Amino acid sequence: MVTTVAARPGFLRRDDLERLIALLQEGGRTVVGPTVRDGAIVYDEIREVADLPAGWTDDQAPGRYRISQTGSDRLFDYTVGPTSWKRFTFPPRVPLLTAGRSTAGNAAFDSARPDPPRLAFLGVRACEIAGLLVQDRVLSGGPFVDEDYRARREAAVVVAVQCTCSGKTCFCASMGTGPGVSGGHDLVLTEIDGGFVVDSGSPLGAQLFSRLPITAATPEQLASAVGGVAEARTQQTSGVALDGIRDRLMDQLDSPRWAEVADRCLSCANCTMVCPTCFCTSVTLASDLDGRSTDLDRQWDSCFTGNFAKVAGGNFRSRRQDRYRQWLTHKFATWFDQFGSAGCVGCGRCITWCPVGIDVREELAVIAPPYGENAQAAVVAGSPGVYVTATVRSVTPETADTSTLQLEPTDSGLLAARPGQFVMVEQPGFPPLPISISRVADGALWLTIRAAGPATTAVIALRPGTQLGLRGPLGRGWPVERAPGRDVVVVAGGIGLAPVRPLIDALLRDRSRFGSLLLAYGARTPADRLYTGELDRWRAAGLEVQEIVDRAGEEWLGSVGVVTNLLDQREWRSREGIAFICGPERMMRATVSTLRERGIPRRRIFLSMERHMECGIGLCGHCQMGPYFICKDGPVFAVSEISDLMREGI
Amino acid sequence: MTIDAGRRPRVGVVKLASCDGCQLTLLDLEDQLLPITERFELVEFPEATSRRSEGPYDVLLVEGAISTPEQAEEIVHLRARAGLLVTIGACATAGGIQALRNWADEPTWRASVYPNPDDISSLATATPVSEHVHVDAELRGCPIAPDQLLELLTALRVGRRPQLPDEAVCLECKRAGNVCVLVAGNAPCLGPLTHTGCGALCPAYLRGCYACFGPREQPNVDSLHRWIATDHSDEEADRLFAGFTAWAPPFQAPAGRALPIADAHAKEPDGA
Repeated sequence: MVTTVAARPGFLRRDDLERLIALLQEGGRTVVGPTVRDGAIVYDEIREVADLPAGWTDDQAPGRYRISQTGSDRLFDYTVGPTSWKRFTFPPRVPLLTAGRSTAGNAAFDSARPDPPRLAFLGVRACEIAGLLVQDRVLSGGPFVDEDYRARREAAVVVAVQCTCSGKTCFCASMGTGPGVSGGHDLVLTEIDGGFVVDSGSPLGAQLFSRLPITAATPEQLASAVGGVAEARTQQTSGVALDGIRDRLMDQLDSPRWAEVADRCLSCANCTMVCPTCFCTSVTLASDLDGRSTDLDRQWDSCFTGNFAKVAGGNFRSRRQDRYRQWLTHKFATWFDQFGSAGCVGCGRCITWCPVGIDVREELAVIAPPYGENAQAAVVAGSPGVYVTATVRSVTPETADTSTLQLEPTDSGLLAARPGQFVMVEQPGFPPLPISISRVADGALWLTIRAAGPATTAVIALRPGTQLGLRGPLGRGWPVERAPGRDVVVVAGGIGLAPVRPLIDALLRDRSRFGSLLLAYGARTPADRLYTGELDRWRAAGLEVQEIVDRAGEEWLGSVGVVTNLLDQREWRSREGIAFICGPERMMRATVSTLRERGIPRRRIFLSMERHMECGIGLCGHCQMGPYFICKDGPVFAVSEISDLMREGI
Repeated sequence: MTIDAGRRPRVGVVKLASCDGCQLTLLDLEDQLLPITERFELVEFPEATSRRSEGPYDVLLVEGAISTPEQAEEIVHLRARAGLLVTIGACATAGGIQALRNWADEPTWRASVYPNPDDISSLATATPVSEHVHVDAELRGCPIAPDQLLELLTALRVGRRPQLPDEAVCLECKRAGNVCVLVAGNAPCLGPLTHTGCGALCPAYLRGCYACFGPREQPNVDSLHRWIATDHSDEEADRLFAGFTAWAPPFQAPAGRALPIADAHAKEPDGA
């Protein structure tokens, strides 16, 4: 007899799913898949299609799970429930051995032999395959292998189902694990009207495929399947910003957020129990009354329990915040070092099944926000021909040659500027000027400008009510989001205090989130100091202000010297410190070397660089420095990014 | 504990203010009971024998709360005669259901229950044994779990530390494959705050845990209370704690807001 095998992918009618189940059951194999029990869609034995959750859907949110009937006949219109497949590949309790001792004192160890049930997993989602692959690397990818796990994995057939809908706690798309299935399966189904688009992913899958009544899938059916998965992807509106997550998180081991989340965290371990990748276990003992024979089992445990990190001398993680930090940093940072991937696959179970709805996505966004995202605001006017008009509200002298303009732009988008960003200022008849923003307040951009040439002299001579043009906000500003929990050192020289003032405003607005705050400010003479009227207000708000001048007048009672003198005498938890510097390049170089001697690493010292800027958007080439355009890639850089290039300077 | 290899350890079971249910758990060990009596000398066990002992005990299992002046004296006396003193059950470890009276006016309650209240000598509070004497180990629960009792006796024989984890009920609940009743909307549940040992019995029957094993290590009462109160009410959340282990220190604040529950009842005339 000649069998014709349909081209892949093919189409399987819904009614013929029964045939697939029967095929999987051949040779006594048990099929496990989604079924409704106790108000949830759990994974349990599936004998026939009728056991699957036809017409059921789920609604998930942090700490909340509900199922309901939709009236449709679809079989997979929901996402993942409380069960993860590790229940079958890495069960909650597995016998390890029996240890015996005879009356004569002889010991005997009788190992349990893996005897895995033959299972077929039906309805494995993309994130869940990713979870299985993560556990493969952990439990059987190293020199020591969990034999029971390996035997169970090898004995299991994986029939995947691609998601055509997402729940509110799903974030596989951002983790790069779904919703499309890209490997690790024997067969993969995508549910469409009337049936499934089917493809195989292994020799075993191809064999199953050839034995099913599959017809060639029509272009419409294929498009419907692709569209369903795309729809699931679009439905995911929040996720984890994965870029640099390891370093971002490891940089925040002292974040105050750990204590804040511990105020909500119950350390009840539910997140780890439902997690498809969590693999921690403990050994339990059950002895007979005489201790002659003891059964040792391996049982799911969790880094959230009190006993987990206990030794004879005490508990290494006695506080909830220590346990939460251990868990989150393992999942999203140290897992990369140990196993080459994140320990999270974005299934969202830890969010849904947290009894108090703690959302890892939210915690990560607060603890370790993406670098730069907070340092940049959307550009309202970018290209060199486009300006937003702004009206001068006031011009306030700061020193003999320096004044602050308050400008009201016609487009309020400019007011979203982040600390450390700049604007291009254009007065008709003069060349455009790149000017750092020295504050955003009261519906105005504040620019502090020194009369250094004709254009700057003209701009601070403008009268209130006159207009000029602005482009921006431009550039990458200060990474304020890396400072919470740290001792912050701000070092400014001369007019360099202007670009750091919005940073100081931001630090003081959220004062309690930071450790000590120090401003070391150096100026040429006492008369050159900016914002002298504000220093006391800053001090009262929790910023320690130290000043030094190069040349003192008769009335100056403070320190004389260079700004690094102010740092030499300081005590701070330098290993936990972060620094922001703005001033002449020579002064910044000296400051960097002082701070590094004091133990602040290069990656946590940030500089605002100055170069000739014409366009402000990385097109004119003037401000090039190594691989960077200072205007577009900076002006703020970590020393680790640019210090090797700092061989120029005024 | 050092026990003579040549003789069986002397084990006593005594009761204070309690219902005897925890002692019955020992009898419930059934097929283990004879092997236990072969290895331990049960010198006192009121549910099984009327024989009494003056001690000393190698191990003394104490059931019940301290509810009367006599019990407050007796426990000091017992402590002095016990090598290891192990409290068993919610009454002995947390004061039990009778500790709800700790928030009420005791003479009023006594008068509402007994025809001749003056004949009753009772303390104003019912308190756990550990508020009176040093306790070496605790078996929690109302009643205690048979497998934990067996583990305790086995560990005593073998000479190792008994495995009595102080983690949340949730771990055992999840290992059992139960659907979380709190998250799936079936019931408010104190499992995340509650000491394990029951095998997650109530959630297995779609009921919320009411903490009869008392608080676990590091119970974050405020957080779970806030969460439950959002879906229900502050009053309902408070009431959850006013149960068998209300007097356990972490539960006292919310329980105290819900109590006294039966003030109105207590003021009813006798025999109504």
